[in-house]
Amino acid sequence: MKLLAHLLWAAVAAAAAFCLGAIAFNRGEHINSLWLVLAAACTYATGYRFYSKFMAARVAMLDDKRATPAERLRDGHDFEPTNRWIVFGHHFAAIAGPGPLVGPVLAAQFGYLPGTLWIIIGATIGGAVQDFIILFASMRRDGKSLGQIAREEVGKVAGFISLITVLLIMIVMLAVIALVVVNALRGSPWGTFTIAATMPIAVFMGIYLRFWRPGKVLESTGIGVLLLVASILGGRAVAASALLAPVFTLSAMALAFAIIIYGFLASTLPVWLLLAPRGYLSTFVKLGVIGLLAAGILLVRPELELPAFTRFVDGTGPIFAGKIFPFCFITIACGAVSGFHALIASGTTPKLIARESHARSIGYGSMVLESFVALMAMIAACVLQPGVYFAVNSPAGTVGATPAAAVATISSWGFPVSEANMANLARDVGEQTLFYRTGGAPSLALGMAHIFARGGGGQSVIGFWYHFAIMFEALFILTILDAGTRVGRFMLEDLLHLSPSGGHGGGMLAVIATSALVVAAWGYFLVQGVLDPLGGINSLWPLFGISNQLLAAIALSVGTTIVLKMHGARYMWITCAPLVWLVTVTFTAGWQKILSPVPAIGFLAQAARLQAAAAGNPLDAATRALIFNARLDAAVCAIFMILVAAILVDSIRVWIGIFRGANPAPLCETPFVATRLRAEEV
Amino acid sequence: MRKLRRVGELAMAILRELADESAYQRHLAAHGRSHSAEEWRRFSDRHLARTYARPRCC
Repeated sequence: MKLLAHLLWAAVAAAAAFCLGAIAFNRGEHINSLWLVLAAACTYATGYRFYSKFMAARVAMLDDKRATPAERLRDGHDFEPTNRWIVFGHHFAAIAGPGPLVGPVLAAQFGYLPGTLWIIIGATIGGAVQDFIILFASMRRDGKSLGQIAREEVGKVAGFISLITVLLIMIVMLAVIALVVVNALRGSPWGTFTIAATMPIAVFMGIYLRFWRPGKVLESTGIGVLLLVASILGGRAVAASALLAPVFTLSAMALAFAIIIYGFLASTLPVWLLLAPRGYLSTFVKLGVIGLLAAGILLVRPELELPAFTRFVDGTGPIFAGKIFPFCFITIACGAVSGFHALIASGTTPKLIARESHARSIGYGSMVLESFVALMAMIAACVLQPGVYFAVNSPAGTVGATPAAAVATISSWGFPVSEANMANLARDVGEQTLFYRTGGAPSLALGMAHIFARGGGGQSVIGFWYHFAIMFEALFILTILDAGTRVGRFMLEDLLHLSPSGGHGGGMLAVIATSALVVAAWGYFLVQGVLDPLGGINSLWPLFGISNQLLAAIALSVGTTIVLKMHGARYMWITCAPLVWLVTVTFTAGWQKILSPVPAIGFLAQAARLQAAAAGNPLDAATRALIFNARLDAAVCAIFMILVAAILVDSIRVWIGIFRGANPAPLCETPFVATRLRAEEV
Repeated sequence: MRKLRRVGELAMAILRELADESAYQRHLAAHGRSHSAEEWRRFSDRHLARTYARPRCC
């Protein structure tokens, strides 16, 4: 039996190697998406079976005889021993944000291969390792947060910097995801109506749940989903109405301000009225769509139209500028390695784990599943004709301000596309135009609609599926946006000592002032993105990717410190290898974003070019703003790098102390207490 | 068939957990209370305040 198991796993590992080889060495022919799915599934299975088992047994030394915080601190609220697969579902729903959907779509400009390999390999030996180690560390420390663990295990400087870094990253993240929504809904009455309808639907659900049927969350969410489908169908009628279509046809700037106002309201209104019902709706729609997409890909098995590599590996990409190294690796953060996961792994999840051994499937397993979501997004982008993909994702500032100019430029790159082709596609999906829809969401929606329509219904339903996908992405993103604004408000209240009792919401004036400050901060970057002649994504997405990966660097340096304290240098490579890679990638990307002499890449070169273009004449207000914004982006990038460098230096100081024997290196784990949970309680 | 039913039950349990309905049941059990509109509102306010004070992933 054991021999059979060995043979089976050898076959799975061989299949992983064969499929990875097949997709890596395939050139000139279209490849079926099933190769990517198989390569990923076999690699994840092998990584989970062997690598995560090794980490669980040898590195973390998980011990099921040890009581977890869920058991020791059980309070019926935060701490509660919970079934492993329920915690898995909870953790996966919390880590799966819009990042793994949008990042791969943008990175597809290099071709399908670089992003696919990074998603599969990065998650297996980087992202899943980070999530598992931080979950384990938090579980052994009463469910403490990453900042608290950093303070205890590394030092006070690391703890404080972690908190500041999280706040700054959140501001950039909220701006960039808001920009994705703006670009998806700009000039789209159908999409705008559908998303606008989600707000009264959420309020209705909130009132239903509060006063009519208290506690019936699944029931109210079911009604909400039905209303959402009705709003998508109603959106088609709105787009066709001469009276209503102009009302819902908004410019990018109008949408940006609508989202800013929404963010402010969501942060100040009672949670039960808007945030919570939207959160429930978003969670279920998200899981449903991910399942639907997986089923669609398996059923349809589409061929990838994008090549393995495009000419843009040289750094001249129209979607974002920069070479594969380092930019592919910061564009895809969630889905490969995401620092934000460390916040979830040191948040709710460790307080629910019933047995220590469950941390393996929850921490490592959830991450590889999210990586699979990223791979599906990559497939959805790559099933589009390359000409269509670039026409949708390229900004006017790069390919030309008219459709004729855009198709000429894109066709000259070797990706033929025509105006008639784009007009037909736009008509099929019920849009006025699909040119210059930067941000990744519309092309992902097109790819998903393509797969869903082939799965059943054909071209006649492609408009419904396109808007269904847009609704899903926007609903998902706005849920992160409103919750993120609220969390940012709390962080600011804490930093400004506006909540002396330790609670939140220290008076209406404080709530309004801190909400306004947070909204103004991300709103500023959002407006900057809207005004950017290169579409905003070119500047903001790399900034977001760098910041997210820097947070991962913080998490991995904390993880390395813990592993070093537990075992000396023996297993240090497990967290240190991904840490070295991430530091190399993010610092190279950060350096290039600040100092590259190529204006499309370097913020300072961009500012200098704008200044030079004026040729000594007085600058107009718009140009002055663009110059200021480019310099501000450079400063933000530099601040991120300095903060993370400070944590790294602090960590290395601790590591050297341990190696020399100068530091006593005590682990701050809670003492061992034997579990009393019976098997049937787990 | 039994296995299929167990999978269905597990899926339903995950949905209830995501919908906070299981958390509410735990709250009732922990405090020895029975369900009422007022109790749900008390639980919901406390639970949501904590949930929405934590960062969400991107």
